[in-house]
Amino acid sequence: MERTLVTWLGFSLSERLSFLIRSGVFLSICGATLFVALASSYPAVHDTLHNVRHALAVVPCH
Amino acid sequence: MSLKTLAAFAGFVFALLFGVVASAEEFNIFLKTSPKLELLRPFADPANISLLVTQVDGRPVAQGRVAIVLDAPKAGIFLSTDYPMVEGSRLLELDLPLRRGRAEWKYLFPIRGDYRLAVNFVAADGQAATKEFAVEVRENREKWLWLALFCAVLFLIGCVAGRIFTTPGRAGIVMMLLLSIAVVGRVGGHDGPAPTQAVPNPQSALEIDGAVVGRLTSLRWRPSDVPVVNRQLSLAITHLEKRKLMFAIDKVAVAGEYVLKFHYPDGAEYRVNAVAEASGHAPVRAERLVAVTGVEPALTAQLPALLFFLSIIALGLGAGRLSFRFRHSE
Repeated sequence: MERTLVTWLGFSLSERLSFLIRSGVFLSICGATLFVALASSYPAVHDTLHNVRHALAVVPCH
Repeated sequence: MSLKTLAAFAGFVFALLFGVVASAEEFNIFLKTSPKLELLRPFADPANISLLVTQVDGRPVAQGRVAIVLDAPKAGIFLSTDYPMVEGSRLLELDLPLRRGRAEWKYLFPIRGDYRLAVNFVAADGQAATKEFAVEVRENREKWLWLALFCAVLFLIGCVAGRIFTTPGRAGIVMMLLLSIAVVGRVGGHDGPAPTQAVPNPQSALEIDGAVVGRLTSLRWRPSDVPVVNRQLSLAITHLEKRKLMFAIDKVAVAGEYVLKFHYPDGAEYRVNAVAEASGHAPVRAERLVAVTGVEPALTAQLPALLFFLSIIALGLGAGRLSFRFRHSE
């Protein structure tokens, strides 16, 4: 990921900026995963994880 | 304002206040639950709820009816419960005759929080008394434990990611870490509905409006006797998937039609059973299956939980980075 950015932009990133970019991408993927697992209404996912959603006490379900 | 109007207004206010105090003083209304209030848990077992109406001297009132209204807890400030459509809604409207001063029913509280139970008693001679009870239902401890475990796993994932991201050039491990998110602690789906028995179903016995989560649904029992016979009506609403009794009344004296309003808390199948008994007559049984239309929670109810979980991962990221730097600065 970092190498691609370096190739595209033509300069190297500081370690702190690199960490922030990686963390941002990681959090976005985690957010998408959590959304699909805990908030999506797609029947296959919802029915599989229905009890998990209720077991967590704070995840809304229908 | 003229003196006459002022006097009339003052008289009206006095009569109103005095009337309320007088009616409140003539009767006492007591609430009892089994299990005790502090042991009630949402979607665990139905609670036996009992109202006792006594006169000032402590004797139970001989005759009268109670109109019962149950309101769900209001929505929380940030995180919702697992049934956000139930929060702040009306759950039950019920009218019960008193038997030796008592009215009893069974009810399964669907969510945690402070419920409001309003009771309006009307005696046979028309005297009335009202009382409001607060019923606190605490969340199941097991659920808090699962939530804590889930948060710990998220924090750990964040922590490992934070350490990896602080180390330059280890992208391969990142992919492995992302894949590891797919591990979910407790997976289980909807259970199949419980088997139902074929019960003769008189056409006029049970009438249930289209049930949708989020609002009250009318449930009407009509006698098929001509002429109408006074009967003892028993009624039960069962959640088929969870196989739990949600609501029940036992042998309530009815003369003619009986109506109650019930809020089905989730989009699932319910079974409503009614048995009406009368001495010298065959019991009249009726059964209806109710497919409740579920309503997807609004995004505003879902976002706080997702943000909460993401913030735990972010905390883990920070902790992982700090721990890595701390270790390598020594």
